[in-house]
Amino acid sequence: MSFRSIDIDALDEDILVQDELFVLSDGLEVDPETALSNVKTKEVEVRNCLTRGDTSNALIKAIETPPYGLHTSKAKNQNTKIVMDVLISTKATVGLVKSLSTEQQDILMKYIYRGMASPNLYNSAVLLSWHEKLTEAAGVGCIIRVITDRKTV
Amino acid sequence: MSPTEVYQLNLGPITAHAFNKDRTQVAICPNNNEVQIYTKAGKDWNLRYTLAEHDKLVTSIDWAPESNRLVTSSQDRNTYVWNLEADVWKPTLVLLRINRAATFVRWSPLENKFAVASGARVIAVCYFDEEHNWWTSKHLKKPIRSSVLSLDWHPNNTLLAAGSADFKARVISAFIKGVDKKPPPTAWGEKFPFNTVLGEFSNGGGGWIHSVAFSPSGEALAFAGHDSEISIVYPGGAIQSIRLTSLPYLSLIWASEEKIIAAGHDCVPVLFEKINEKWKLSRTIDAGKKKVVGESTAFDRFRDWDSKGISSRGGNEDSELNTIHQNTITSIRYYAGTRENVTHFSTSGLDGKLVIWDLESLESQFRNLKV
Repeated sequence: MSFRSIDIDALDEDILVQDELFVLSDGLEVDPETALSNVKTKEVEVRNCLTRGDTSNALIKAIETPPYGLHTSKAKNQNTKIVMDVLISTKATVGLVKSLSTEQQDILMKYIYRGMASPNLYNSAVLLSWHEKLTEAAGVGCIIRVITDRKTV
Repeated sequence: MSPTEVYQLNLGPITAHAFNKDRTQVAICPNNNEVQIYTKAGKDWNLRYTLAEHDKLVTSIDWAPESNRLVTSSQDRNTYVWNLEADVWKPTLVLLRINRAATFVRWSPLENKFAVASGARVIAVCYFDEEHNWWTSKHLKKPIRSSVLSLDWHPNNTLLAAGSADFKARVISAFIKGVDKKPPPTAWGEKFPFNTVLGEFSNGGGGWIHSVAFSPSGEALAFAGHDSEISIVYPGGAIQSIRLTSLPYLSLIWASEEKIIAAGHDCVPVLFEKINEKWKLSRTIDAGKKKVVGESTAFDRFRDWDSKGISSRGGNEDSELNTIHQNTITSIRYYAGTRENVTHFSTSGLDGKLVIWDLESLESQFRNLKV
């Protein structure tokens, strides 16, 4: 049965690669440096909101225009950290997640899953509580979109 | 007529179904390499013919109403056109030239062509070659990057909509010289030689496009993606996308120019309506029945243990859903009415049920509920 382990797609010149899937799902490539500096400016704004106690704006700011891209892992890590800081310092309520638009809810769900992927860095109990509230407000469709979207955070 | 007619035609999934013109016969695939044709007898369907020519799972069936011909596609990479001759369905092999499964097939409105979607990243547009006396095909290939999952013909017999696993819904010309007359210009474009791409749309969520459908006039396109989203496109206009809270839809049809019915993993058909130029989710068509939770007696409990191996705790617990379909709906088809005003539609799915829905009677039920 050794033929079963042959990767026949590798023999196909016209193979669909991961990078192309990103473009096909309307992903736009950004320069990693610009993405990182954008996230850093964002961080300052989010911190300001948090010190003022304006958690809902802090959350919206933190999740807006995520650094999508294939080579922006530094910016992505940084942005995830910002979102996690907001989530940990804010109490999850259905009212708050309901006030978000569907697009914002989808992005927030992406970050929740992103956070849960590294349990040694971020507190999963907090994230699970956010996940519960968000699913209540946005339904399972929101989770499906996290799975299908190639524009990862 | 009651609002719904439910028939359990198979214990496993039904992968495809298609009715004949007067709705007295239905062709289904019971999740194997066979196509079964049932004839209506009173309130039942009786198995009349079994067509076993394919080697692998039959993925799609379409019944041409006027010429009374069947076309079936299968994972064995073949498509057959079936003709009824002296009470026997005779297959004709179609020259498809594809090296992956055929996933979907539909007759064109004039029934002189059909299109076969495939996993080989091509759509084979098939027509009858008089000279050689067989069905031959031309490939639509150019921008398609992955498997094609669904197709729909524009009423002008020339344009084809295709939904694909590369997250795109496309409008492509399937004009075949010598078979088609030059069609009048449409909203999608004016000139269209074979394989002209007249539109390429995505709902941005990166989901496979499971289903595409032209509106009755052909002046709008709707598609459903695996990202739990449906989108409606008017040529030259913006895409209206509706992000849903439910699981993704696998199939959709237009009930009129202002109504779309979609169904999928949630096991219920849903109605979308255009109100004041804006599309929105109106309601589910299957209201679902309330479960009657009776008090369980000791006798019931022991009987369930005995007959079903279920240990019921405080009531008649079971795994039954309170919807008609008990599993994913994979296909919705027109059943009665005109394309501009569909009055009945049929659905089939993984639970082996075939359901016929009476839209008007269901709607009047809902009106009564509101009052």
